[in-house]
Amino acid sequence: MIYVLLIIGVILLIWAVTTYNFFVGSKARIKAAVQEIGNQLKRQADLIPNLEESTKGYLSHEKGIFEMLTEARKAIAAAVDSGDVQKMSEAGTQLAQVLPSLRVAVESNPELKASEVVINLMDELRDTSDKIMYARRLVIDLTADFNVKRATVPSNIIANAFGFAELPGLITPQEGEHLEVSEQDLETPKVKLN
Amino acid sequence: MLNIYEAKAANQRRSFVIVFLFAVFVAAAIYILANAWGAYTGSPIDSLGIVGIALIVSGISSFASYYYSDKIILGISGARRATPQEDRLFTQVVENLCIGAGIPRPALYVIDDPSPNAFATGRDQNHAAICATSGLLAKLNRSELEGVFGHELTHIKNYDTRLMAVVAVMVGLIALLGDWFLRITWFGGRRNREEGEVGTIFLILGIVFAILSPFVGMLIQLAISRRREFMADAGSVEITRQPEDLISALKKISDDPTPMRNANKATAHLYIENPFKKTGHGKVGWFSGLFDTHPPVAERIKILKSML
Repeated sequence: MIYVLLIIGVILLIWAVTTYNFFVGSKARIKAAVQEIGNQLKRQADLIPNLEESTKGYLSHEKGIFEMLTEARKAIAAAVDSGDVQKMSEAGTQLAQVLPSLRVAVESNPELKASEVVINLMDELRDTSDKIMYARRLVIDLTADFNVKRATVPSNIIANAFGFAELPGLITPQEGEHLEVSEQDLETPKVKLN
Repeated sequence: MLNIYEAKAANQRRSFVIVFLFAVFVAAAIYILANAWGAYTGSPIDSLGIVGIALIVSGISSFASYYYSDKIILGISGARRATPQEDRLFTQVVENLCIGAGIPRPALYVIDDPSPNAFATGRDQNHAAICATSGLLAKLNRSELEGVFGHELTHIKNYDTRLMAVVAVMVGLIALLGDWFLRITWFGGRRNREEGEVGTIFLILGIVFAILSPFVGMLIQLAISRRREFMADAGSVEITRQPEDLISALKKISDDPTPMRNANKATAHLYIENPFKKTGHGKVGWFSGLFDTHPPVAERIKILKSML
């Protein structure tokens, strides 16, 4: 009898430890995922001066776009430094809203459209937008997992005992480039293989 | 109508049930064959020893393919490492999905083959590799590639290489035991045969199991493989949230008539779609379906459509 109780006790203990570790581990992973958003935003912001440099001569009449891009860059740098998820998210959205008009400007200029440097930079920007979207997705998923476990039986016992509060997660922007499908997305890519 | 979380949970439940059934079946087969062996030779110690030997033999043969699974694909002719310069889209897409899935980026390889297909392998997340054919990279667009690599990343995330390796060891173990048992009852001389009723029952059961269980084991192994494909499809949608892209990718891949030149039976279950194209079989009934590593594409698409 004593052995049965002992075994049940050990199983309960293992469960409690695993559940506790899930909550602590999730928090750490969410923190890392938020940092990843910051990293990618920075990467995106760093691409802009390059792009500006290589398109300046052609897009002098599009000054407005570059002003907006510079604004967005500053906002990103400030948000990443502050480490605040919501601010980062907002700064990212700000940039995502300017990018389509830049794309239009570039694509309507035949010389820029043919320039390999510009094509590569636009591609990098687009790719970074995707990376930000996925980094954001991870934060949302991890937060959802955390909050579901926190609220459901039996893991809520551990959450309440150790006072794990519900995490706010991200408020996803309702619009932005990451929600749009560009013409480029629909094209079949050509891969060079040698 | 299933949402992605319900689909995932339902898949996990079904997968658990089928793996559990497999474990029960393996245990039963070993128990009966060991007892039959004991009843035949009259020594229970022998029978335990023989299970141990069979486990070791079966284990060794599968261990290498499991432990070095990521290195072995290098040996598949034509596989080369993908580079960010040459295979920009491939590396970008996988990198992005890895951010979304929260796993380290696997090693990427390209096989020069016009047939569009891809597979994943590796014993854990840190020794994983994804291999795509040049045909796949050329014929699918970015969103479709996301669907395909989401599927492969889910195989990695779910430790499918590990699971299928364990299953293969177990199927091998039963096959060996059955084979050896049939050999000694056929050729071996009679020794102290236990003349009890129990002994006779075990002997008869033993012969039945020796003949049937390698076959049954293989069928369950394939059922597990098909279940993991459904799981990988659902996992892909969980990462990308775009079932329609995976649907159009699956259509493109299955409609392509070219079979893989370097298809490998050992890794067939990890491909996105069966690398051995079925040709000439207009009607594919449920019976021939039992022998497939992959569920029919039509059924996979039907399930994906329910997630739209």
